[in-house]
Amino acid sequence: MRIHAPWVILAVSTTSLLPVGWASAQPVSIPFTKATLPTGMVVILSEDHSVPQVAVNVSYSVGSRMERTGRTGFAHLFEHLMFMGTRRAPTKAFDAWMEAAGGRNNAWTAEDRTDYFDIASSSALPLLLWLEADRMRDLGPLIDQEKLTLQRDVVLNERRQSIENRPYGVEELELPTLLWPEGHPYHHPVIGSAADLAAAGVADVKEFFATWYDPSNASLVVAGDFDAAKARAQIERLFGSIPSRGKPKDPGPLPAASSDFKTALQSVVRQTVTDNVELPKLVLAWQSPPHFSPGDAELDLLASVLGGGKSSRLYKRLVYETKLAQEVSARQESRTLGSVFVVDALVRPGVDVAKVEKALLEEIAGVREREVSTEEIDRARNGYEMEFVDRLQSIPERASLLNMYQAETGDPGFVQPDLDRYRRARPSDLLAYAKKVLLPGALVVLTILPNKDAKR
Amino acid sequence: MRSSMLPRRCRGWWLLALPGCGGSAPPPVAPPTPVAVAATPAIVAAPPDPLGPRPDVPAPAPFEPTTPAVFRAGPGVTVWLLERHQAPVVSCDVTVPTGASSDPKGKAGLLHVTAAMLDEGAGTRGALELARSLDDLGAHLHTDANADASFVSLTVLKKNLVQAFSIFSDVVARPRFEASEFARARDLWLNGLLERERDPDATARVVYRVTLFGPDHPYGHPWDGTPKSAKAITLDDVKRAYAAAWRPDRAILVCAGDVTRDELVPIVDRAFSTWKAPPSAAEPPVVPPPPAPSGPRLVLVDRPNAPQAVVAALKPGLAASDPDAPALWRVNDAIGGSFSSRLNQDLREKRGYTYGARSRYSVSRGAGQVVAWANVVTNKTGDALKAMLADLTEFASNGLTPEEVDRSQSQARGELVSVYESVEGIAGHLAADASLGLPPDWEARASRERDAATKAQLDALARRYFDPKNAIVVVVGPRSRVQPLIDASGMPPAELRDSEGEPVKP
Repeated sequence: MRIHAPWVILAVSTTSLLPVGWASAQPVSIPFTKATLPTGMVVILSEDHSVPQVAVNVSYSVGSRMERTGRTGFAHLFEHLMFMGTRRAPTKAFDAWMEAAGGRNNAWTAEDRTDYFDIASSSALPLLLWLEADRMRDLGPLIDQEKLTLQRDVVLNERRQSIENRPYGVEELELPTLLWPEGHPYHHPVIGSAADLAAAGVADVKEFFATWYDPSNASLVVAGDFDAAKARAQIERLFGSIPSRGKPKDPGPLPAASSDFKTALQSVVRQTVTDNVELPKLVLAWQSPPHFSPGDAELDLLASVLGGGKSSRLYKRLVYETKLAQEVSARQESRTLGSVFVVDALVRPGVDVAKVEKALLEEIAGVREREVSTEEIDRARNGYEMEFVDRLQSIPERASLLNMYQAETGDPGFVQPDLDRYRRARPSDLLAYAKKVLLPGALVVLTILPNKDAKR
Repeated sequence: MRSSMLPRRCRGWWLLALPGCGGSAPPPVAPPTPVAVAATPAIVAAPPDPLGPRPDVPAPAPFEPTTPAVFRAGPGVTVWLLERHQAPVVSCDVTVPTGASSDPKGKAGLLHVTAAMLDEGAGTRGALELARSLDDLGAHLHTDANADASFVSLTVLKKNLVQAFSIFSDVVARPRFEASEFARARDLWLNGLLERERDPDATARVVYRVTLFGPDHPYGHPWDGTPKSAKAITLDDVKRAYAAAWRPDRAILVCAGDVTRDELVPIVDRAFSTWKAPPSAAEPPVVPPPPAPSGPRLVLVDRPNAPQAVVAALKPGLAASDPDAPALWRVNDAIGGSFSSRLNQDLREKRGYTYGARSRYSVSRGAGQVVAWANVVTNKTGDALKAMLADLTEFASNGLTPEEVDRSQSQARGELVSVYESVEGIAGHLAADASLGLPPDWEARASRERDAATKAQLDALARRYFDPKNAIVVVVGPRSRVQPLIDASGMPPAELRDSEGEPVKP
């Protein structure tokens, strides 16, 4: 059956209202059309013929925060299983066929979302769409113990390679647990615990697929060098008949039936761990406003002022002048339910970690007490402007951004409003959010010290 | 937040950076399986498959990179320019053909730290002021040195090109090399080298160079030096290295992006107007010989208590100018350069020993290297090594399957298209060619030759570069646990090395 979807050009913004002083600001846009199939699946198409390449991005609104107790790491493990084959595309065929067509793929899982993407020459688009539709329709029920065991072993090796056997990898395990209370959806790391991964069974997998890998919970982007009219017809044919069981309910921020549940950090939480590293690392982390909520962009800018390269305050004081630190950085890690603002430093040999902590906290106090200068905020903004323009060169990046904006704001065309958040922010706004967020009495202080292993 | 910082769990770690992941998978394989449209016998026709049969994929059109325009500007600097006007961004690299292969004996890392010092104060600006000026413009500036060459690269919005290029030219032509900045930079460098020893992959890369080429070979040390050599290098060494390497008559400027020749020439003329070559003759680029041949070796680096071991097979590679270089890309895709490559399919997707098994070749002005490796769970070190060597032997002996021949052609095309997606990608890729003495039309020629390579050619390369018979096997892992496993797999006696590749007493 052919579905008549309302394909409308929703956003081709090339100009926007800018604050004074930004006359030369670079406009950014990603042209696209958006429609929703009757099953609820969102379809976003973005034509661009500058490079003979096409990208497909499928985002499912499921991440580690939807995992059940005792099944941590499951969303990511499932992402691996999505490549394990169906009747039409048996195990190994997904990669084999795609790569034989000159394409390649990858996928990632985060707290809020799981994202699959394929890149290939334009002639391979029908195959990419067919493969994505095939696994969205049929993959779950065909998972068996053998597939599960194999990918669990791969994921355990991923955990070893990128966390256990990597200097400071332990930070990824510690921070979520320290920052968010037990029962909070962000309390556990995305990779999950080895014991939970081992406990996952085939029934869990099938249920997970049936619940979360529903077309109504998915958003498909095609970007690059392709014919949108042809692609629409193919998408309607391939995806339009995938049965939906209805959109799964986002469990949101709190476990059900716990109305008095406190998620806000109430005190200074200290933790010291050891790892196979050369230099101690000090990590300070605060709970901060959710992605795209008021304060999010302001904290991004503040992170740049504090820790963005050699022109930043922390570099000047801790690395350049006092020589306490080997490296410093600051970042706002934006997420749907609540973000994390992180400031960290690698401590130079022979330097007292407490001294570094004191210096970092003094700099934080500085942005909490006084406005940053116009030069500093302009510098930070210019960095973001450059980053936006730079990323839009890439077709896979554009595909990824369209789905990110769709997932987080419901508007794939949010790139210009996104950039405008940075353009609008004033030093007084940064001060207000620094006061509100970077509290002296509610943060995590994680210290990673060298252990005795592998000394030369 | 900046998306590149998001901590995420990714499916694979591959060659190309993809959104949200450190890298992506490229290419190959598998026989086109007939699509299952339930061919039921007779009478009751099965319902038609709503998806229909698997779509055929017509061969993609060949992709031949555009050759940059070449001209001279400023003080006789050769310029390569590839115009791309899709985005208002420009990327430029200056490269000179001097890198770690010119490091004097005992001063490994001299060219590395020389490059690192270029932006620690230049022209009228001190180190921090220079960084602030670049950040005020939203410009990205980078300095680097590899085995054969040194680079300074700049990426900036077109509207800020003139101002940013002026700072860029200061960094290239007017570095200040102040003693206080050097003392500071060397301190950071030294600490960074100590950190390197704690990273198993970085350690493995150091050990590859030292063991493949040997300590007396121009390529036989890590480009970024060692803790010992870092202490031996003085600011005078740096100044001398700079004077010999960074001369306009040895430099090539590569630009890509939203700028025309008419716009670029006056910018270059002005910015480099005072950069002059001294009267002395310029030093020719170093062309190191291939490493001395060796029999099979096993090199073991102890990393106590590690949950994984790096296992690798290492061989000499080829020169960038070697006529075989273009086609080696395809051979590598088939054995370990892509997700569906043999090594990854076997060690990861069949056996689950690793998060990924890969191979990589690097070209250089003299001799490159070829390495296949995987980070494997410690208790499978012996099994993984056996499987890897068996896969390589099979590949070298019997060559590529017809499917691999076809697949690698499509894959290599697709990977090349991705390189040409951004102006940084283009400028960086062309600057690497320029630094190795390759001609401006190299990419176009290489893409045609790569595309046209026959099975016989590819098989010969598989034999020559991937046969593990005389390979150096490197293992970085907990010795007490991995040694018995390796010994059981019939390897030669282990040479024990430390994390700098220096022999240690057993």
